[in-house]
Amino acid sequence: MQPVSDNDLILFHFRDGLDAVRMAEIEAALSASDRLRARQDRLRRLFEGVDAEVPEPSANFEQRLWARLDQRMAKLSPAPRSKPGIAARLRDFLHSGIPFRLAWVGSLAALMIAVGVGYFAGRSSVPEPIAMVPSSAPTMASRMLDSYVAGHLRATEGLLLTAVNDEGGGLLKDNRELASGLVESNRLYAMAAARAGNTRLADFLRQLEPVLIEVANQPGGSSVEDTQGLRNFLRDTDLLFQVRATESRIDAESKRSL
Amino acid sequence: MSEAEAHWMARARDGDALAFRRLVEAHARPLYGLCARITRDSALAEDAVQEALFNAWRHLSSFDGRAVFKTWLHRIAVNAALEQLRRRGRREVAIDLPDEDEEFLDAVAEELAGPDRQALGSEIHRQVETQLDRMSMIERTAFVMRHQEGNSLEEISDTLSLSTNACKQAIFRAVRKLRSALEPLR
Repeated sequence: MQPVSDNDLILFHFRDGLDAVRMAEIEAALSASDRLRARQDRLRRLFEGVDAEVPEPSANFEQRLWARLDQRMAKLSPAPRSKPGIAARLRDFLHSGIPFRLAWVGSLAALMIAVGVGYFAGRSSVPEPIAMVPSSAPTMASRMLDSYVAGHLRATEGLLLTAVNDEGGGLLKDNRELASGLVESNRLYAMAAARAGNTRLADFLRQLEPVLIEVANQPGGSSVEDTQGLRNFLRDTDLLFQVRATESRIDAESKRSL
Repeated sequence: MSEAEAHWMARARDGDALAFRRLVEAHARPLYGLCARITRDSALAEDAVQEALFNAWRHLSSFDGRAVFKTWLHRIAVNAALEQLRRRGRREVAIDLPDEDEEFLDAVAEELAGPDRQALGSEIHRQVETQLDRMSMIERTAFVMRHQEGNSLEEISDTLSLSTNACKQAIFRAVRKLRSALEPLR
């Protein structure tokens, strides 16, 4: 057998770049020789020293990163063919350079406007024998609400997909803030839908709320077992399908009303 | 690719910037770690992550799903980090070691007892940092990709446009330079 060089030991350590015969020879040589094992141990110690510190970025790294990136991406994006819709503008707002938490505060403020619109839509849908309500008002209000709800359902769908696929529990932990935001907006949309007389949508949104609360309240160190119940629930029910179906229905209705 | 990742990928390919953010935001810090290890400079590393994500956004349509998305992203980041080093005119610090040091692992002292070894830990780490600085960017990149990223020699040679043998040699040289970190144990 050829003597085992340091280079052989390095490749053996990485289990790469050696054929199976040479790997087996080194394996056997390591079992037989204390001196060779000591050399291998020195190599391992050297690598431990390299792994000792993980480089961490300075404070506000993500904010700096996305502030610049959003600007560059926006410049690169082709000019929209037509005036962007409300949903698109809401999305633009959410991924602008504003820190994510602030973006949620902003979007909640926008949601309050939507509730107002929903309220108006609910009121104006009652027949008024004397004063004529402009016929475009309920349609516009309804479309506005639809756009917001469609965006909300897209975000909810993403969150639920994350929950379904989160085998280790780590992804859900990172999404608690998002889930809390969605709980708040879900309540507002349910109210707005009820006001607008859309009981079907209001009921569906109310049905979503306990699941969003469950995701928002997942403890920080959730074990796989802790999150298993939620995953099982989502897999066993058709909630995710219903979210997608409702989202598609709203999108289709919005397009028809244009 | 997970269902969630596929969902965000499809939306991002349609030009949805928010979906792209959802797709890559969990990767930003690991990418920073990778770029910082290659550039040895936090400002360059941040710029490299910025460029990497921007390039990923521009070329998202070319991601064919054959590689894992994370691997694809990390390869872009490696090239972005190297590009940052080239732009800033970082010179290669290729310090060749004499041939007689080929079997350097034999030359260091025997194993020390636990407490003594612990006391030397920080000194070894400091030495490792110094030696990483002494490597050429190809040596360091090949080593970081193989050791810390777990890329195969083939993947490294693809990314760095080097032969597999040249990648091996770069890694060997990198490890040999690191040997000085074990000097305190002599």
